[in-house]
Amino acid sequence: MSNLIVGASSGLGREIAYEFARNSKNLILISRNLKDLEILKSDLEIKFKIEVNVFQLDFSDLNKVSKFILDNKKVLEKIDGVLFPIGMMRENDNIKNSNDDLIGIFSANFYSINFFITHILNIFEEKKNGFIVGFGSISGAIGREINVSYSSAKRALENYFESLIISNLKNHIKVQFYILGYLDTNLSFEKKLLLPKGSPVNLAKIVYKNLDKKGIKKFFPFWWIFIDMAIKILPFFITKKIIKFFN
Amino acid sequence: MTKKKIYSLDKNYSADIFFKRPDKYKEIEIISSKFENIITMGSCNSYTPASFRKNALSIQLTKFNRIIEFDKSQKLITVEAGIMLSDLFNFTLARGLWVPQIPGYPTITIGGAIASNSHGKSCGFHGTIKKQIKRIKIFHKLHGWLNLSNEENKDIFDLTIGGLGLTGSIVEVQLRLEELSGNNFVTKIIETDSSNDTVKKINFDVKKETYCYSWNRSDSFKNFGKGFVFQNELNISSNNKLTKNIKLNNSDINKNFIINFWNKYSVFFAQSVYQNYFKFLKSKQHEESFQKAIFPFIGKEFYFKLFGKKGFLESQIIVPFDKTEVFIDEVETIFKKHDPLITLYSLKNFKGEQKNLQFENDGICFTFDFVKNSKNLFFMDELDKICEKHLLTPSIIKDSRLKLETIEKCYKDLNRFKEEINKFDNKRIYKSTLTDKLMI
Repeated sequence: MSNLIVGASSGLGREIAYEFARNSKNLILISRNLKDLEILKSDLEIKFKIEVNVFQLDFSDLNKVSKFILDNKKVLEKIDGVLFPIGMMRENDNIKNSNDDLIGIFSANFYSINFFITHILNIFEEKKNGFIVGFGSISGAIGREINVSYSSAKRALENYFESLIISNLKNHIKVQFYILGYLDTNLSFEKKLLLPKGSPVNLAKIVYKNLDKKGIKKFFPFWWIFIDMAIKILPFFITKKIIKFFN
Repeated sequence: MTKKKIYSLDKNYSADIFFKRPDKYKEIEIISSKFENIITMGSCNSYTPASFRKNALSIQLTKFNRIIEFDKSQKLITVEAGIMLSDLFNFTLARGLWVPQIPGYPTITIGGAIASNSHGKSCGFHGTIKKQIKRIKIFHKLHGWLNLSNEENKDIFDLTIGGLGLTGSIVEVQLRLEELSGNNFVTKIIETDSSNDTVKKINFDVKKETYCYSWNRSDSFKNFGKGFVFQNELNISSNNKLTKNIKLNNSDINKNFIINFWNKYSVFFAQSVYQNYFKFLKSKQHEESFQKAIFPFIGKEFYFKLFGKKGFLESQIIVPFDKTEVFIDEVETIFKKHDPLITLYSLKNFKGEQKNLQFENDGICFTFDFVKNSKNLFFMDELDKICEKHLLTPSIIKDSRLKLETIEKCYKDLNRFKEEINKFDNKRIYKSTLTDKLMI
């Protein structure tokens, strides 16, 4: 049996792969970057003596995801759980995105995950077991000027995972969702941020520890829950004025 | 992209740089394509400004830290160049293998060790790290991905080892590993009464696998050269496997105290305590863990911090065996005249053939650490004159103050190295503050 990690070649996905490997779990790793996946596979197999299979797949292309599911039914039937530490950003993601950018960003951050889970759910329901872990972003808490489509897709994903949690309360499928603030990955490297960055290594540990828990929705780092609450409590006309003040 | 101010470990150079830490292969290509001047950075532990340049991009490869292949029977390992020595050794030592030619701090990356052609405490026996390198993969903005070895692109392979990162980013490396029999070391302490006596005692048997170095006093002319030779030999009889594991502490070697604590009195006090501890309290033969013998600076990072914000200077010079007496004589003469403030004075054996900018030669390697002040700078200028006069080998990677004039006289291959680098990289993309100083 294996655990499937989508977006495993870098950042949080890579740290989750190491955490699972440290716990002697076999892995199936998916990413756009085959070279990085192959090196990660070598390192994990050499250091932890586990079995790792890798697949190159671009989640920004829903057709490719669909084909992958069709071509790898037997592989997917053997998985214990699936994690989606995936996120795709584009440099000029603003209010006027092109059609291609919109489709790409929404596919990678929402549609493909949703589509993949639909198929996985059938397998897990048959097995009466399995876990699904998703990762949102605090950027989805409120509209913004940059990463407009990314944050919209992450808000949609959060909504979808809430539905997933609610729909699976009465069975053995465990669904967890983490809303991420700043993480210390290459995306935030050397960026001056208002709040401290969370460690992806620590988050990977938390994710692994919570795998058996049902219906989790957590913020990481934890203090983002207060910011999220404040955003949701404040009427939009006040939030709007605060944003205007800081801009 | 925001800029970051970065310092050399000796604190003598700083620059505002563009800084990126990619974690994907494609990212190295994308980032490199966006900048005119690039240099690769490991852990940024170099004494000199070898991994940064004002307004240039420093690509830090610490996320490229994985093991790609391991063949125990052939004793070969392929790793990404950003792997720290501690991570590499925690894997290989558990399998009775290692690379002996490694510098004294475990957070240094293997790529950094190759770009500076590092050596260890057993350099009189093992030479430098170039002996262990079988293959290198680099990325160069103009040439793309290149495999380098004695069989493939040999000229670039030779330029890359000790080449200060000028041939591009070292991304992957295949190393020949050596067996490490035994689990820890037996350290013998031999007292010496002068620098010449230290040379005799340190050079006792270069054919034996001994990790040998000295500690000598430098607080006054009267005490200059007195000290100890430490001979670390592998302890085959010990079965304590735990001693091989390398544990880093959380101390940041790059962060110094605000003020300098080293002065004539504190150096005298520290050296007197150290000498008396080893003379009267420490057993003349004792067991030492792998970590303590090979990485003696772990846990002693405060030594660097004590130099304060102004930092320190280090001079490392290889003196051929037949010139050690005259070198010591001349150093003692200038010591008596200028009374410099030297915080560390140490000797070790060296073996190798100098090529390009590689810090190598057969002889004794003398190391001096200085507080940064005008008196010491004058003393170091006098040391340079001795180097030039006797054509000794001063270390470019340790002494950030070293003048081009001295390097030109002491490194016969400098001009040829420049020509070959210019031929390979005619746009001179890969540069650092250090190589600017060398006019490369």
